[in-house]
Amino acid sequence: MSSLILHLGILLAFPPLLLGVITKTKAFFAGRRGAPLCQPYYDIFKLMRKGSVYSVTSNWIFRLGPLISTAVILAAGIVLPIAVFKAPVQFGGDIILFIYLLGLARFFMVLAALDTGSSFEGMGACREATFSCLSEITIFLNLTILALLSRGLSLSGIFLGGLASSWMQVGPVLILVAASFFLVLLSENSRIPVDDPETHLELTMIHEVMVLDHSGMELGCILYTQALKLFLFGSMLVSMVLGLMPRNVWGQGLYFILGILGLGVVIGVVESAMARLRLNRVLYLLYSALIFSIFALIVILVRGHV
Amino acid sequence: MSVWLDAVLILIVLLGLLIIVSHRLGSMIQIFGLQSCILGVVPFFLYANGIEFFIIIVALAAIVLRGFLMPSFLYWAIRHVDMRTEINPTIGIGTTLLLSGLAIVGSFLLASKLVFPMKIASDMVIPCSFSLIIMGFLLVIGRMKAISQVVGYLVLENGIFLFAMLLLKKMPLLVEMGILLDLFIAAVVLGIVVNNISDEFNNTDTVQLTTLKD
Repeated sequence: MSSLILHLGILLAFPPLLLGVITKTKAFFAGRRGAPLCQPYYDIFKLMRKGSVYSVTSNWIFRLGPLISTAVILAAGIVLPIAVFKAPVQFGGDIILFIYLLGLARFFMVLAALDTGSSFEGMGACREATFSCLSEITIFLNLTILALLSRGLSLSGIFLGGLASSWMQVGPVLILVAASFFLVLLSENSRIPVDDPETHLELTMIHEVMVLDHSGMELGCILYTQALKLFLFGSMLVSMVLGLMPRNVWGQGLYFILGILGLGVVIGVVESAMARLRLNRVLYLLYSALIFSIFALIVILVRGHV
Repeated sequence: MSVWLDAVLILIVLLGLLIIVSHRLGSMIQIFGLQSCILGVVPFFLYANGIEFFIIIVALAAIVLRGFLMPSFLYWAIRHVDMRTEINPTIGIGTTLLLSGLAIVGSFLLASKLVFPMKIASDMVIPCSFSLIIMGFLLVIGRMKAISQVVGYLVLENGIFLFAMLLLKKMPLLVEMGILLDLFIAAVVLGIVVNNISDEFNNTDTVQLTTLKD
């Protein structure tokens, strides 16, 4: 019971802090003091209290889109184990449910963007859908590899204790998978080499352009969903890299939290060090992520570690 | 030890992919130099329990020649070239990337069918060398600039060198050194050719060579 409460508590409360860490790291590299770590929380609470403005051309899909996507991403979080806490819901094959829940959330965001009737938002929706085609295959392949290595078909089986021994045998391959996961994380959460979460005015942006028309509570939901999605991806990456074992709960939990904060710092460093890629080169980034995971899969299949 | 060898081999293949993605000639040459240096370390991992004098010589020669001399010659060749980027490759960069992904899969499948007479420290040496060869080949046929074709040729040669390292104990040192020298001369000659093309036409596009008239 306490593990359930801790799981839900971390899932609900922790994600915006990750955004805060990224912003703080970027501010440090730019030589500024930066917003306080808790700024995303303040932003979300502020937006939740505000009223919304709706265009006359939009209908209920526009209002419902962000709410549905928040709910769906939360549902995806319930399937995923966080740190050493087992997922509240788990069954064999919940990998597929997890990935399709992420897809469903994106589908509703795209619908809401198309509903505004603005060609600018339509363009963003088109880009989001295009890039997600490639990243979705890559996530599937990566999770397949991890499932093969850990012999578990549910996310809890994969991320809780199944991988620690694999690091000894096929470490290099797991590094490939982690690299591929990191690239997908950057693209799925519209971080810098792919998309800039800060700008609202440039033509190469992907995710931000879809949410231009949302305001008030819906915008707060979108901000929260963004943080939540980043946290889910980061949690998968960190549990994979650390190879957590469900033994020493507090030690491993602390280890995990430090890992997540470290990931936030790494993302911040990447964002400070790199410029955004040109739109046609984003495709190469996603191709590379795909090739990394194909490479890892073929090595594991040929080696017969299965 | 095998784990480290695997890591080095994977890194070499990834650097090959990076050469394919980078569109600046300068960075292509730099990455090629890095790849060759890492390739020079492979013999120490392959023959970890029996390092002999000639193995050290081959490794050092590979690092110095492939890792430093050839890249500096290629730099010398492009010093006057204005257009330092590959603009219109015949096979697009994305297509080349996907094809090399297929090549990696294909070479692993092929290598799992082949039987090598000796015991190898890692079963990834042969597939990685195959995929490097195919990547170099794709670069040679897919690019327009003479200098990226030269880099492609050298990547292909790196793949052959990786394969030849398996035979290092069977093959006389003289043959190995002869191959290295040949390759070095080839790179120098190609560098001079590239230099002359760029002096003559102000760019290094090989397409122009097909329309030569006297």
